[in-house]
Amino acid sequence: MTSTTRRLLLGAGAAAPFAFMRSPVAQIRRGDELTVGVWGGMQERILREFVATPLEQQYGVKINFVLGGTPERRARAYAERGRPSFDIVYLNIFESRQAVRDGVTQAPTDAVPNAANLYPAAKLGGYGVAFNPVTIVYDRRAVASPMTSWKDFWRPDLRGKVIWPTYPGAQGTAALLMAAKVWGGSENDIDPGFRQIAALKPFAAIQGSQDQLFTMFDQQVGAASVEFGSFTRAYAEARNPNIVIADPVEGQAIATNVACITVGTQKQALAEAWVNLHLSPECQRAYAERIYYSPTIRNLTLPPELTAKLVMGEDSVGKLVDFDWDVVIRNQPRWSSRFTREIAG
Amino acid sequence: MKNSATGPVLAAPYFLWLMAAFAAPLGAVALLSVQESSELFAPLSLNPSAIQYLDLATDPFSQRTILRTLALGACVTLASAILGYPIALWLTRLPPGWRPLGFACVLVPLLTNVVVRSLGIILLLAPGGLVSNALALFGLPRVNLLFGWFAVGLALTQVFLPYMVLALYDVLEAQEKRLAEAAAGLGAGPVVTFFRVTLPLSLQGLRAGLVIVFLLSSTAYVSATLVGGRQVMVSGMVVLKEGLEILNYPAASALAMVMLAASVLVTFLIGRAVSFATPWITGRPPRRLPSLPRALVAALEAIGPAVSRLLLAIALLLLLFPLLLVAVSSFNNSPQATVAQWLGFTWRWYAAVLENDRYLADAWVSLKLGLAATVVSLAIALPAALALVRGTFPGREALSAFFMLPLALPGIAIGLGMLRLLQWFTALPAFLGILAVHVVLVAPFMLAMLRASVAALDRGLEEAAGGLGAPPWRVFLQIVLPQLAPGIAVACLIGFLISFGEVTVTAFLTTARLQTLPVRLYAEASFSLENTINAISTAFILLTVALLLLMHRLVPLDRVWRR
Repeated sequence: MTSTTRRLLLGAGAAAPFAFMRSPVAQIRRGDELTVGVWGGMQERILREFVATPLEQQYGVKINFVLGGTPERRARAYAERGRPSFDIVYLNIFESRQAVRDGVTQAPTDAVPNAANLYPAAKLGGYGVAFNPVTIVYDRRAVASPMTSWKDFWRPDLRGKVIWPTYPGAQGTAALLMAAKVWGGSENDIDPGFRQIAALKPFAAIQGSQDQLFTMFDQQVGAASVEFGSFTRAYAEARNPNIVIADPVEGQAIATNVACITVGTQKQALAEAWVNLHLSPECQRAYAERIYYSPTIRNLTLPPELTAKLVMGEDSVGKLVDFDWDVVIRNQPRWSSRFTREIAG
Repeated sequence: MKNSATGPVLAAPYFLWLMAAFAAPLGAVALLSVQESSELFAPLSLNPSAIQYLDLATDPFSQRTILRTLALGACVTLASAILGYPIALWLTRLPPGWRPLGFACVLVPLLTNVVVRSLGIILLLAPGGLVSNALALFGLPRVNLLFGWFAVGLALTQVFLPYMVLALYDVLEAQEKRLAEAAAGLGAGPVVTFFRVTLPLSLQGLRAGLVIVFLLSSTAYVSATLVGGRQVMVSGMVVLKEGLEILNYPAASALAMVMLAASVLVTFLIGRAVSFATPWITGRPPRRLPSLPRALVAALEAIGPAVSRLLLAIALLLLLFPLLLVAVSSFNNSPQATVAQWLGFTWRWYAAVLENDRYLADAWVSLKLGLAATVVSLAIALPAALALVRGTFPGREALSAFFMLPLALPGIAIGLGMLRLLQWFTALPAFLGILAVHVVLVAPFMLAMLRASVAALDRGLEEAAGGLGAPPWRVFLQIVLPQLAPGIAVACLIGFLISFGEVTVTAFLTTARLQTLPVRLYAEASFSLENTINAISTAFILLTVALLLLMHRLVPLDRVWRR
């Protein structure tokens, strides 16, 4: 783009070893550029409308979107630790906490005024911008009776009809942890989970993404899986009314999208202003209305028919099943290799 | 090539480009693979350790994955060759005016998004899908072919078949038609003519096709992810998983290096096999083949034409099926792209593309990048092709294997290597940086195809021109280039499409300063794929047909003087 940007980047690169000595620029200046790494599609559209455009108009700054999938974005942020080209990256629940621990992104602070409204579960490893819980989803035509518990996957009428989510990944992680939990284990005792999942074999299929799962449901490849309730609801409403989003007695597994400010950003104040707008009721409402993301802030009321489709209020949020993510992250390589060998493949 | 120094000189630009833009990421991957510690932020050690390789060698899962991946690559390559010949021969027999359309048919899979293409495979193979229904029609039991090795193989054959067809097209097109007539005059039927005349004379093109398809299919992982139902593990997936999900770069790098070595070995073996089968290229007499029993030949001749037509029909169906799906979906009033059911007609996806100037801006970036990458690749690959075919310098085979290396290293590994070099990379002007990488990714394809075209040149014409007093530059411009024109056109087409659609490596390098259209689409697909993607694909297919028609006017896709 402009040679100014290039010089800035070069300058930032040259000064990188000393980045820790410099205090981040405390004020937003006209002409500043903020680089945000985020998913494309509806997310990008909502953020442009409710965050980027207002910031650009108010401060005369420029927002750059770098669109991509989470893996590349995270790999980039790690490769550029301390001298980031991103000011903000969006990660999921365990990636964000790991990134804070690894010194790649910052822990949340009170410098973001709207963060005061966050549920405590959304104020870890960055700023949770959406609850997107993972739950049981199933085709009502293919099961003998409604699924109400995570243990229902092991019912005889589901034999050979389960579409298990791959691990790691938000869905697969939730599925593994919930399996361990309902069969007497935990994140510290994962064995029961693996044993029971292996007992489900043969699977109808193993799914790696929601789009893949929806195609499988379209083709009636299997009966039930573990997926984000939000997207599945949009899918069920748009094209497959037979799909049910269950609310199991053991609870839905927590998952969040998290806005993370990078360590070493030169646009600290602007990045915080960005996050603040993302946590504004207007933006959170758009998330809820358009993609059924549940709000992470407490100061938002929505119409009851919409609330019914979300996880809202202290009680509901409190019922989300949380885990010790440090343990989960630490074991991820081992579990991943075990999953590949014992469950898939 | 009279002067033995000319070969190395001609190969030099390509060599230097690889050294500048590919040796660094390859070196980074190689260095990562010999790290003892898998700790993410451990400083790079220069003391090589074999621990990662030992882990691979002692892990039955890894061994199985590597062997299965290579076997999958071999099967896909074989299937592409078997389906590629009927299509390529069909193309050469099309009336010249129809050839651009024929080419468009072949290119359809390369112009459609991988997610949509995979949906096509799923619709074909699902329990209630086309294949299953067809079997049921003949009273055979219904089968579920989905989510297994067969589905992955079919998906890979579909998308890599075009490379095979285009690699074969030019050598078949250049073949002397009178040879077939001579064979027929001597009593050979179509089957014998194919195996004794057409096939041997097209081996140089087949070599290009085999190498390209094998390298692509043994490093591919997206199709395996989408239609393998995650029950099929290929090494590209394991590299991705170790590298991007677990962040264990040394393990991912070691696996990538093993795949690289295996691929180089296979490339080398394919080269040796083709050299063995084509002794006349280096002026030695052809080998005598044992003759088959007369009854067997008669039987083969009897079923040959039918088999050939059946293969052609299967191949065309496989190539064109995504087109149907994409075109229909682009008008489907459904929010998600991967829908098999019709929910009503709408123009809104086209409107969404045209209203969103970001698509157009990114498409413009991709277009410029694709054109620049093609031009640079042609400029370095054509001399390199001449050097490899005609040069007699020592180490030619080794050099040719080295030149194909960028195809042998999984794209994800190149991306991981580039991550280590991001600091330097971002210091380059954005366009130049991505261009340098795209040329590395595109040039091997163009080299493989041009090499086959150069090998098919009629040297008698050059000698005649030289004998009549034409200086070498004039021989090149007026004799060599016109003969190469169709081959160059096809190679450029492939080069452009590869650069234009590249996402695996580019996704790591995209910055706020430069974003390509495929990366945008990939980012959108990472949540939910909207039907805009099908509108874009349909538009591209139409655009490609238009471009092919235009190109055919400027650079004929056949050899005019032969008509």
